[in-house]
Amino acid sequence: MATETFVLPGETLDPTALPSHPKLPLKLGPGLRHIPPNTITPTVAGQLCTDKRKNAVWVEFNGSRYIPTAGDLVIATIQKSSVDLYHASLSDYTPNASLPQLSFEGATKKTRPQLTSGNLVYGRVTLANKHMDPELECVSSSTGKSEGLGPLTGGMLFTISLGMARRMMLPKPVEQGNLVVLDELGAQGVAFEIAVGRNGRVWVDSKTVKTTLAIGKAIVDTDEKGLGVEDQKKLARKLARDL
Amino acid sequence: MAQVTSVAVPGQLLGPVSEYQPGPGTHVHNSNLYASILGPVRKLNPPKPAGPQKRLTKITPAVPAALPTLSIERNISAASQDGGSKGKAEILPEVNSTVLCRVTRITPKQAQVAILVVGETVLDGEWQGLIRVQDVRATEKDKVKIFESFRPGDIVRAVVISLGDQSNYYLATASNNLGVIMATSEAGNAMYPISWKEYKDPETGASESRKVAKPF
Repeated sequence: MATETFVLPGETLDPTALPSHPKLPLKLGPGLRHIPPNTITPTVAGQLCTDKRKNAVWVEFNGSRYIPTAGDLVIATIQKSSVDLYHASLSDYTPNASLPQLSFEGATKKTRPQLTSGNLVYGRVTLANKHMDPELECVSSSTGKSEGLGPLTGGMLFTISLGMARRMMLPKPVEQGNLVVLDELGAQGVAFEIAVGRNGRVWVDSKTVKTTLAIGKAIVDTDEKGLGVEDQKKLARKLARDL
Repeated sequence: MAQVTSVAVPGQLLGPVSEYQPGPGTHVHNSNLYASILGPVRKLNPPKPAGPQKRLTKITPAVPAALPTLSIERNISAASQDGGSKGKAEILPEVNSTVLCRVTRITPKQAQVAILVVGETVLDGEWQGLIRVQDVRATEKDKVKIFESFRPGDIVRAVVISLGDQSNYYLATASNNLGVIMATSEAGNAMYPISWKEYKDPETGASESRKVAKPF
């Protein structure tokens, strides 16, 4: 499904690289821009990927600067709280996102979670555009249930690149993203819990601090050193032996 | 002007209340008249009172002598410096006056605007105004989303509802003929309105939400 073409920003695309479909219109994903009438140019450097079935084309790129998009699941750090709003940081040196205090499962004016500066929450971005600060929610607005969102207690937070976060959030990380280090650690009998935010943050929690640190380091090393499947397996086995 | 200086600075003592009447640009404090703004001092002599009535059978009480009025002109020349964010102009926005303004900043609770035109007069300096989220529409005020009503750079027709505080006038667009009159799309093209809540970009065909003013 993926064609291996590397593109740079502003490049003119070869029309044969774009998929065509008799019925569906061409869908542009992240990293591409349509300039009417006929031009489609990439805006980032990366690999041009296509999906013939959905007639979609996008650019797979890696970076460290997270740009909030509505619908993304993120890990936010509470900075401060004001009247009925928490101010949470999605990434350094960017404006804080606002999280309503009642936007948690079963929260009313009397019973709301008491979060202070430094607490972590797993939330979804509801509003994000270039003119305003982003907004989050920790409850699904349609069902009223948290569905996994809410405060994250204990554990440790690690920073990873956006590409790594995307790989970890794929439906099948082993096949689609070549990510086996976590599966291998689990197979070696290490018990842990993780949450991945699309803003390049991963939260790890397990029984001891040593285990948490080891798992976090494993993920960060896989990301930074670009370890392949075999190297990830070796790393996982080495860590599991020490624990 | 023997006692009174020709140019006064804010806070300058102009004279006692027993000698002068306060006019625009001045204020009274502890029975003294002080200047409120920077500008040249003008003295308005009162009309001469009529002489005593020549009626020998009636005694009328003496009318107290009218005092000259001191006022300070708002200097429109470029040489004067304006201190506060409420700049200088000949005409000021009043309550219920229709103004044209440009949106400078949006937050979920309000939109900050710069007032450019009051009535039919284009202002020299810009006044800062606020349109709160509950003043955007007349109906369903709690469901209003600022991002779907205004964007930075839009030109908006609004009405002044309050003179506000030190830094902002308060405006409202809660009427059919108030709202966005000119908007630019994300792609940078001028858009034209297609309904009370949408503008359309003719070049890309994309629609954007705004609180649209009814064109007359």
